[in-house]
Amino acid sequence: MRATPTAIDRAFRADDVTKVYKGGLRANDGLTLRIEPGEVYGLLGPNGAGKSTLVKQVIGLLAPTSGSLAIGPYDLVAQPDVARQLCSYLPQAQMPIDAFRVTEAIEITGRIRGGQPAVVRRRTGELIEALGIEEWRAAMGMKLSGGVRRLVGFAMAVVVPGRLVILDEPTNDVDPLRRRLLWQQVRALSDEGCAVMLVTHNVLEAEKAVDRLAVVMDGRIVAEGTPSSLKAEDRGRLRLQVMLVPGTDTPASPAWVHSAVRVGNSLIAGLAEDDAAHAIAWAQGLIDAGTAEEYALGASTLEDAYIRLTGHVSDDDEV
Amino acid sequence: MTTAALAPAAAPPTTLRSGSSYWLTGYSAMLRWHLASLRMWLALMMMVQILVGVGYVLGFALFFDEIPPLAALWVSTGTPVLNLVLLGLLLGPQLVAGTKQQGGYDFVQALPVPRSAATAAWYTVTLLAGVPAMVVTLVTAELRYHPAFVVSPMIVPATLLVVFTGTMMGYAIAHAIRNPMTTQLITQVLVFVVMGFAPILFPAQQMPAWLAEVNEWLPLAHMAAVIRDALTDGLVTDVGRSYVVVAVWGVASGWLAVRALGRRL
Repeated sequence: MRATPTAIDRAFRADDVTKVYKGGLRANDGLTLRIEPGEVYGLLGPNGAGKSTLVKQVIGLLAPTSGSLAIGPYDLVAQPDVARQLCSYLPQAQMPIDAFRVTEAIEITGRIRGGQPAVVRRRTGELIEALGIEEWRAAMGMKLSGGVRRLVGFAMAVVVPGRLVILDEPTNDVDPLRRRLLWQQVRALSDEGCAVMLVTHNVLEAEKAVDRLAVVMDGRIVAEGTPSSLKAEDRGRLRLQVMLVPGTDTPASPAWVHSAVRVGNSLIAGLAEDDAAHAIAWAQGLIDAGTAEEYALGASTLEDAYIRLTGHVSDDDEV
Repeated sequence: MTTAALAPAAAPPTTLRSGSSYWLTGYSAMLRWHLASLRMWLALMMMVQILVGVGYVLGFALFFDEIPPLAALWVSTGTPVLNLVLLGLLLGPQLVAGTKQQGGYDFVQALPVPRSAATAAWYTVTLLAGVPAMVVTLVTAELRYHPAFVVSPMIVPATLLVVFTGTMMGYAIAHAIRNPMTTQLITQVLVFVVMGFAPILFPAQQMPAWLAEVNEWLPLAHMAAVIRDALTDGLVTDVGRSYVVVAVWGVASGWLAVRALGRRL
């Protein structure tokens, strides 16, 4: 399904996309990326990094200040109505389906997206089963839990998928078991040739689900590649997580700490393997001094690359 | 091969949709969308419309020992208009403001439906919600006052036009104003204006001259005029101008609404 050099370029392409809001806020600053058909591409970044702004420009709710967006031969900026046909979209906000029955919400959306009635009906049934939500088939939207509602929203977004499927935090509120079912469906979409843009700040989930990803910060892409290539720089590094006693000041970082970030009472520091003994001694010292309660030392993850690049912790509840 | 038949459902489209079938599919699917999302409210809304219409018609008699026939005729023909206009001006903005506040507005906006088809679907919903109350109100008025209705076939285009203009004004407000709180505020003020300062239930001559003049250019009095003309004989003169004013407001609001729907900031 991948585009070959001789074929028409069917990929989604963002080229130097810049969005400056009235008042001068620069939400996107020269974003350039491409997503091939059949590829799941993660867009990671903290809140306010400019991910949603990019998505809204793709689906024609915002116009870029400069730059171009395209899928195959189609210019999405010049033809927002075409963009809406080519892209399907799961927003981060819950779907407005209080008064809909589950099957009805999915089927009507499929019809709006141009699916034939029989095909839409069959695919709706398949999705409901594949996502493990059969027991709510006839339930009204208002009776659903947040997680089931999210899965119904996902089914609405992909019942008749576009060439680009944009999923903004698709697994919010979804239980771990059904998350796996959802990721299987995402992979099924890419197998059918859809380009999938996954917008999230949950790095650990993205690491398993995406083929490639970009880390976005202050409207710019600060890193792009496969999950393992982004982790490469952290190879041979460790992460030290120290639980500080609530109310204590953040202790000054020793010289061997590469990066440190505090989230609530948790202090996360990156360090070289050779400094492991220093780290243990330092952390134990903090506990002895009554500043910290416990610590953990482990191999670094994609999350550490993310922290290093953005200064934020994923799934952020920063205070 | 059955497996091959399953695949196209999930495969992304290779062609773009356009033309009348794209429009009609969008229209009928959006109509289903609206009717489903309003299913708990539509019946209630019709009841409220009927209660308001019947209540207005019957309540008005309480102002008089014996209601003058002309006043009865004005009230009987004005009340349905008041009801239809309020429905158009309120229903759209309130619902759109609601989806903006609860989220989900972006999802609906990102659906591939021609803007004019989405607008037409909403117009149809308003007609369905408003016309039953209009009929019941008129029947009640007939039974209570026998106000010498002379119903002409023009009642059909007149009603379609009045609902169109009211709906488009509401729809334009709903989509052109970004902040849902502002939308709510403006519609509240509009209700006040419609109820109190537009000559819908009474002749414009009973207003101060300047206010009557203002209403010459606003659509509300003219909406009442086209309906009244189709329900009575000789009560309305120069209805042609009224049709023009209402139509101009309707088209301008519709244009604004479709534009606001497609607007990218």
